[in-house]
Amino acid sequence: MLTALKEKPPRKGVYALFEYLDDTIAVIERLRADRDEPQFDVFTPTYYHELEAALGYKPSGVRWFTLTGALLGVTLGFALCLLTDYDWPLVVGGKTAGVYSLPAYVVIGFEMTILLGAIGTILGMLWLGKVPNPKGQIYSTATTDDRFGIFVYDVVEDSELARLLREKGETQVYS
Amino acid sequence: MSTAEAGWKRTISDVNDGILVNTRRPHPAFYVALFLAAACLVLGAVLWVVQITLGMGMAGLNSPVYWGVYITNFVFWVGIGHAGTLISAILFLFRAKWRNSVNRSAEAMTIFAVMSAGLFPLIHVGRVWLAAYWMLPLPNTNNLWINFRSPLIWDVFAISTYLIVSLLFWYMGMVPDLASLRDRCRGFKRLVYGVMSFGWRGTARQWHHYETGYAFLAALATPLVLSVHSVVSWDFAMSIQPGWHTTIFPPYFVAGAILSGCAMVYTLLVPVRWMFNLQEFIRESHLDALLKLTLLTSTIVFYAYAVEFFIAWYSGNIYEQEIFAKRLSGPYAFYFWVMVFCNCLFPLAFWARRARAHVPTAFVICLLVNVGMWFERYNIIVSSLVEDFVPGSWGHYEPSWTEMIITLGSFGWFFFWFLIFCRYFPIVSLSELKLIMPPPLRGKSGGGSG
Repeated sequence: MLTALKEKPPRKGVYALFEYLDDTIAVIERLRADRDEPQFDVFTPTYYHELEAALGYKPSGVRWFTLTGALLGVTLGFALCLLTDYDWPLVVGGKTAGVYSLPAYVVIGFEMTILLGAIGTILGMLWLGKVPNPKGQIYSTATTDDRFGIFVYDVVEDSELARLLREKGETQVYS
Repeated sequence: MSTAEAGWKRTISDVNDGILVNTRRPHPAFYVALFLAAACLVLGAVLWVVQITLGMGMAGLNSPVYWGVYITNFVFWVGIGHAGTLISAILFLFRAKWRNSVNRSAEAMTIFAVMSAGLFPLIHVGRVWLAAYWMLPLPNTNNLWINFRSPLIWDVFAISTYLIVSLLFWYMGMVPDLASLRDRCRGFKRLVYGVMSFGWRGTARQWHHYETGYAFLAALATPLVLSVHSVVSWDFAMSIQPGWHTTIFPPYFVAGAILSGCAMVYTLLVPVRWMFNLQEFIRESHLDALLKLTLLTSTIVFYAYAVEFFIAWYSGNIYEQEIFAKRLSGPYAFYFWVMVFCNCLFPLAFWARRARAHVPTAFVICLLVNVGMWFERYNIIVSSLVEDFVPGSWGHYEPSWTEMIITLGSFGWFFFWFLIFCRYFPIVSLSELKLIMPPPLRGKSGGGSG
């Protein structure tokens, strides 16, 4: 019995909880094999590569955020040192402004690469994962514990899909 | 793994209840520890205010020893902060499974240690309200910018980056666990954890981006952790001061930092696992792995000490030779020998399995390593600064009471935050622990050995 539902889902559909990973994957494969693939959300207590493979996800776009952040960081780091140096040359150790001092500026460039690369990564994770999300619905608290959840949208109770979900896990229908 | 652990069988269903116990029932010892930490913190804070009011004369700093206990503390705390990112990032990339039980607390320790470290440049400059003007890349009234060729400004960039990246890494790692906690709370607590977990839903798509991002953060943090203490070492090595001007400093500092960090993780985990009854999840085999890492880095540090002496002799530089001869038998020899015994000789006991398995012995040795690492930084800074090239400018330095009490205050500050973390946050990463357990498959009973 699904007792732990916290919020009413925004749309009609069937919500199913599964105890086993292989059952969840079997249902996902069945859903994806459907000619009119229904819209569904999968909830999992931790990340399993088997789930990702079943869902057919492409490599995450987070990497582009990381790359953009890192490139921006290295540019800003070197620009900060070089432009301030050209603006008012500070002669230290007989070395004048600009490229002659580049080795010393590598440290600033490196640190800024890491800093903005990391910030870019975080922004990518948040943006693509749609968090922060004040209206984020969890449907069942069991999926942050030890259960897998699938919400199949716009499915009615007596359909074949609903029967499949009932067969593998515990279900609840929202109409 | 000991025989007692060989039969360890747990499934992912046991993780939440087993670990989140800290958020429900704190041990009475927790409150005693929190009170002691808060008391030390208040004492240190009062002395800092007094020092700001009366002036830097309260510190034992003098000419030529302009860097004393405050900078020693700075380097010490930055070093402590290294084990967290090593365990969370480098061991993550190496897929060392034992890290999953200790990484969260080690990362928390990193954050609080770097926060402690960050206090000391502020304390050291005296007029703290001008610290931002002196330390950050800001132009002066003549539009002249700071000197980006100075290792001190590199250090500002390195430490700030390290704090921010470690904080992001730690917090993002915790978001799904905070969502687990949110779903196990009611009322106000649920609201707070809900806000802190950013409304995490745990959908497969969220996890997909999360995992990729986490791996990238680990990849970025790995060169960072190695660079930070290298940059700190350049504060010394880039000068021409005998005893400091040496190329071995970066690897020597990094190894020392990891040594002190691992010892501190052990020192913290032993009481924490007892206080919150986490022996089943932070197991003997995990502590054993930490001690092996301590032993490894201790031998690297031992080697670095030997190389320093060899190079001093081999360079033929009389100033360098004089400094190192005086470290052995001069006025600061006590600090040197404490350092050698604590960092090089006592940890050798960890070659023996019995010493690693006997928690009280290992705990005392780890405490001594922390003492030794503090003395190492004191030894490097003070014994080099007291004597430079001109005998007329030689001096002497002893820490003042103010410096020692502010140091005590920094320990209070560190432990205070760490205890607050242990009380309200998941001490062990729930989602990572679930991941290393066998996945729940129909017809197979789960059981982990992670």
